[in-house]
Order: sequence, then structure tokens, then C-alpha cells
Amino acid sequence: MVQKRVLIFAEQVNGELQPIGLELLGSGRLLADKLGATLSALVLGSNIAHLASTLIGHGADEVFVADHPELAQYRTLPYRRVMTDLIKSWPEPPHTILLGSTTTGRDLAPRLAAHLETGLTADCTDLDIGPFEYSNSKDPSKSGLFRDCLYAIRPSFGESLKARILGPWKNPQMATVRPGVMVPLPWDGSRRGEVFQVPVQLDPSDLSLQIVETVRNLSQTTDLTRAEVIVSGGYGLGSPEGFELMQQLAACFPNSAVGSSRKAVDSGWIPYAHQVGQTGKTVRPQIYIACGISGAIQHRVGMDKSRTIIAINKDSSAPIFKFAHYGIVGDLYQVVPEMIRQLQQNQSQPQAHPTERIPVLQGH
Amino acid sequence: MESFVLIKQVPDQSSKAGINSDGTIDRAKAKRMLNPFDRYALEAALQTKRQHGARVTAITMGPPPAIEVLYEAIAHGVDRGFLMTDRRLAASDTLATAYTLAQTVRYAGSPDLIFCGLQTTDGDTAQVGPQLAERLGIPQVTYCEAFEIRDGILLARRAIEGGSQTVTVPLPVLVTVANSAQRLAYPTLRGAQRVQRLMRDEAARAEVIQIINLDDVGADPERCGLKGSPTIVAATEKVGEIGGNCQIFQGQSVPSLVKSLTEAASISSYVGAR
Ligand SMILES: Cc1cc2nc3c(=O)[nH]c(=O)nc-3n(C[C@H](O)[C@H](O)[C@H](O)COP(=O)(O)OP(=O)(O)OC[C@H]3O[C@@H](n4cnc5c(N)ncnc54)[C@H](O)[C@@H]3O)c2cc1C
Repeated sequence: MVQKRVLIFAEQVNGELQPIGLELLGSGRLLADKLGATLSALVLGSNIAHLASTLIGHGADEVFVADHPELAQYRTLPYRRVMTDLIKSWPEPPHTILLGSTTTGRDLAPRLAAHLETGLTADCTDLDIGPFEYSNSKDPSKSGLFRDCLYAIRPSFGESLKARILGPWKNPQMATVRPGVMVPLPWDGSRRGEVFQVPVQLDPSDLSLQIVETVRNLSQTTDLTRAEVIVSGGYGLGSPEGFELMQQLAACFPNSAVGSSRKAVDSGWIPYAHQVGQTGKTVRPQIYIACGISGAIQHRVGMDKSRTIIAINKDSSAPIFKFAHYGIVGDLYQVVPEMIRQLQQNQSQPQAHPTERIPVLQGH
Repeated sequence: MESFVLIKQVPDQSSKAGINSDGTIDRAKAKRMLNPFDRYALEAALQTKRQHGARVTAITMGPPPAIEVLYEAIAHGVDRGFLMTDRRLAASDTLATAYTLAQTVRYAGSPDLIFCGLQTTDGDTAQVGPQLAERLGIPQVTYCEAFEIRDGILLARRAIEGGSQTVTVPLPVLVTVANSAQRLAYPTLRGAQRVQRLMRDEAARAEVIQIINLDDVGADPERCGLKGSPTIVAATEKVGEIGGNCQIFQGQSVPSLVKSLTEAASISSYVGAR
């Protein structure tokens, strides 16, 4: 019998697995179990053999490792080559392929889908397996009852709707998944799986793009997907300097990051990497403190899975108070400094603020 | 140098017109606008014109009114435009769209640079750019924030998680432009006057804007529209309103407000300088 596979792409950076890979395994495990399929993980990089056991412990049945110096850092064409070669070497394409909707996944997934001539659903927030009956007089060749289809569920129309996208006519069925949405399985050291080395054969044309420099200087203040506490500033800050206050409040918490609304990014007050929302990042911290953010639907969808949402807004009718858990109606420039003062008092050992600062962009 | 820029007309979701109560869009009634992300792509293409004298071609695909975005692009300084319009394109997903656009690009010439917006506000997929690059067999730089061209090589900075990356790649290349890239200026007076003339004079328009269909570009209709789309929207569901039980503090002195809130939300357990 041919092996049915659900394949997930596990991103690594400098030999470290990114959280999205484990999130995809968590979601992929459910799909694979419903399908009676093997859950396969693919990881590409250089000197990354040690990652296989982590992927197995978090749910993979088998791990494919492509280890090659040219794969050390992500680049579209070499990664695309290795993945399509691997998939084509199998007697049957995977049933489903999942990638993260990170800058890497959104760069790679569409190239892969176009190469494989298959469908791809972007930025899903939910996935499932189910049957689908379809008839369309304009395209009768598509009609029929399809069992075991990938239900790719994603927000649409400015996030006011959830759309269920289906493409059972062709395998693999592909989707990218928002980081921070799916829940990883807990590590289980007793899990067993198989590890395969993937042959890497690159064409010189794959290597035409060269990476000159990679900078991840923003990590501490911008790793929104990993922070426990996010202090987020919006247009209500009124000026880029407001983000220094956000930074000071964030500094009261050991594992924190500064977020922002799109209007603050568009005003040039803070780099895009800090943006939370539909066209920014999805986050689910323990605490999300929204300062001067109205709570537009496009912002809400990026943060409404946060465990505790706190809003500080001077307008008591701002939509954010409809879904925040706690709110202060007041001027953030009075509330936030007082909050910082009280939190610092609470600290057993008051410490100086870190010197690191967010690069403030020039206004336009 | 030949620069192409791909632009799309989208419904204006900030206007209530044409937005049904269930959140879907009545495209015939909705106000139309140039996809906001494409404004950055347009600016990037115009940069190659200012700095390298590139000829800039704008391409759009859509129903006949989509010609409006070509006029808008020309007002900003774009040299010529192509409108790919055909009834057989209805229900195209990103794969079919990228196929149609690849055929259109080939028909329009051989660009050194193709600029696309990062994504559209109606589809939000960010897929068409990379799929088009794959179809054309050229490299891509996505999430581009800034770039320069020197001796036939693109030097670009792109956004990545928690930072940025600088890359070099020889032309031709497809670039998707992130929204932190440079803003589009106002239309030029000359550009606006040119559009006025094109709108009045059909012969003059036909020299600048070509309206084409699938047959013109030799596209296989089986690979376009519904037939060429491996995915469909099978169902939609309204996102429910949530909440209504926010505990709001107001009216007291600021210190007591903050104290009540931090206690209620038990923030203290997270405190500790980093
Ligand atoms: C296709 C599309 C995608 C989008 N994607 C995103 C996205 O990813 N993320 C995102 O955030 N938005 C996104 N938006 C934009 C979104 O619709 C809103 O415009 C944006 O979130 C508003 O930002 P804001 O809340 O900071 O600003 P505003 O809506 O202007 O709100 C500012 C708030 O600050 C309050 N305020 C002002 N001064 C003070 C003060 N001194 N103290 C306290 N409160 C004060 C005001 O009462 C107001 O509620 C998108 C829009 C579109 C069309």
C-alpha cells in the first residue's frame, strides 16, 4: 500500500528550530491521525542532524533532513529545488503540505505550489479533514464526492469572514499557517520515528542569489511570537517618542516585546516588524497591553488569542473595550508612567532600564 | 532597462458602499481603488525610471473598469500599460492568476525587473508574486524594503522575522515590495495631463494602453479562471462578535486606577526587569 503523508516544513535559524515548526506538527498530527497518514517533517540547513529527535518528540513519525552548506540560510531557489526533488522521488505526492506563514514560508510555499501545479491556501488559522461534495455546471470535471479533503480555514474580507478553502482535485493540498495559532504537542521523549537523509543536488542557477548580510538585531524587542508580555502602541501615542514609553513599560517584564498597530507603522513611528494584526504578526502572549489602539478588526485578529488583554484608551467607546479583559479609560501618558512607577516598586530588586532602544524611524 | 509593475484594482473596504451586511463584497457596487500595497511597488518601479531611465510598464488583470488603475499609474509617471481582461478569468485562484500574468508578461516584453505589491487587500495571500516568478523561471526577492541596482545586479534589503537581510541577485528578478518601502508621491502634473488626453482621445489611448485577452497572449483557457484553479472557496462563515465583559476602570485618581487594574489582571507575577 502506498504511504499517505502529511508533510510539514520545519524552519530552522542558525540550527535552532523555530516555534512554527512545532506548531505545524501539533496541527499536522491531528490531520494525519484523521487521514490514517504518516506525519513527516522536513528540515533543511547545515549541521542540523540534532533537530530530528526534537521533531520526533513533538509528533513527527519520520523526519527528512537535508544537510548541505548551501542550505545553511534560507534561500528560495535551493530550498525549492530540494523540496520538489524529494516530493517527486516519492511514488505518490503527499496528501497535504503545511508551511508557516512567516517571511520564509510565504516566500517558499507559493513557489513550491506553482512548481507542483497545485493549490495553496494562505495564512490559515484553522485546519481540518472532512468530506466535500461539489457540483459545478461550468466545470463538470470537478464534480463529485471527495472524502478526506483538507479544510483550509482562513479569515477573509478584512477578517470579517472565515472562508473554508478546498482543493481536493489535486494532491498535495497545501496551506500556510499563521505562527502563534496552532498549539504544539508537549514533548514526549518516548516517541520513536525514522530519520532519512535527503540527497541534495543543486543547479548553479539556484545559487544566483547571494546573502550579503543577515541582521537579527531586533530580536529582544521584536520577537513578538515568543514574548510573554507585549506592550503595544497605536496611533494614540501621537508621536514616535511614545514608543520609548512603551519600551520602558516592556522593560518591567523579563520576557517582553513591543508591538504596534498598523497606523503607527504607517506613520513611520516604528518598523513594520513590530506590527500586530492581519498584515502583521499573530501573537498570543500571556498579557497584551494595548495603549492608544482603537481595536480595529484587522488589529484584533492578530492579538485576540492573548490570555489577558488590557486596554488603555481615552475613548470609552473604543471597540477595543468590547474584547479586552481589563481596561482603563484615560490618557495613556498619565496611566503608563504611573504603571511603570508601581511595577518598579513591586520589583524586589529595582533595576535600571536596558539601554537597548527601538530604532525610531523618521516621520514622513 | 525595462521595469514592469503589476497592480490590481480592489474593493475599498473602508467605504461602506458595496459591503453586504454579512461582510461579503458586492463588487459591482463597491467603491474601487488601487490595492494599497501596490502603491509601494509603483514607487519602486518609478525609482528605476528616475535613477536608470527605465521604461516602466504597468500590467493589470481584471474587469474593464480596472483600466482606472492604469490611468492612475500613468499619472504617476508610468510609460505604458496592459489590461488583461477576459470573462474566462472569473474565479481565478492564485495559481491560475499567476499563469495568466506570466503569459501577459511574456506578451508585453522581457522585463529586467518585475515589481509586485506584497499582497492585495482583497485576497491577502502574498502568493501571486512568487508563483509568477516560478512560472517565469526567475529569482525573487520578497518583502523588499529598499534596493539599488548596480551593473545589472540588484542589491536589496528584505524584511525577515526580527530583522532584515541584504541580498544580491543578477537581473532579471521579481521583487515584492514590503509596506515599509518608500511612499508614493503625488501624481505629476505632466502625468495627470497625459491621462486627461488619453481619456479623451481613443487613438492616443490605444498607443499607450493595450487591452488584451487570453487569445492575444496565447494563454490556455483550461489553465485560467475556474477551470485552471485548483482551489475554491467552499463556504464562508461570519466571524462572531465577542466579548462584552471587559472590566473597565475609570473615574478614580490615576494611581488608584492603575492599582486596581494591575491587581485585577494579576500582572505582578510577570514583573522583573529583563
Ligand atoms: C487590508 C488592511 C489590513 C490591515 N492590517 C492591519 C494590521 O495588521 N494591524 C493593525 O493594527 N491594523 C491593520 N489595519 C488597519 C486597521 O484597520 C486600523 O486602521 C488600525 O489598526 C488603527 O490603528 P490604531 O488603533 O493605532 O489607530 P486609531 O484607530 O486611530 O486609534 C487610536 C486610538 O487611540 C486613542 N487615543 C488617542 N490618544 C490617546 C491618549 N493620549 N491616551 C489613550 N488613548 C488615546 C483613541 O481614542 C483611539 O481609540 C489594516 C487595514 C486594512 C484595510
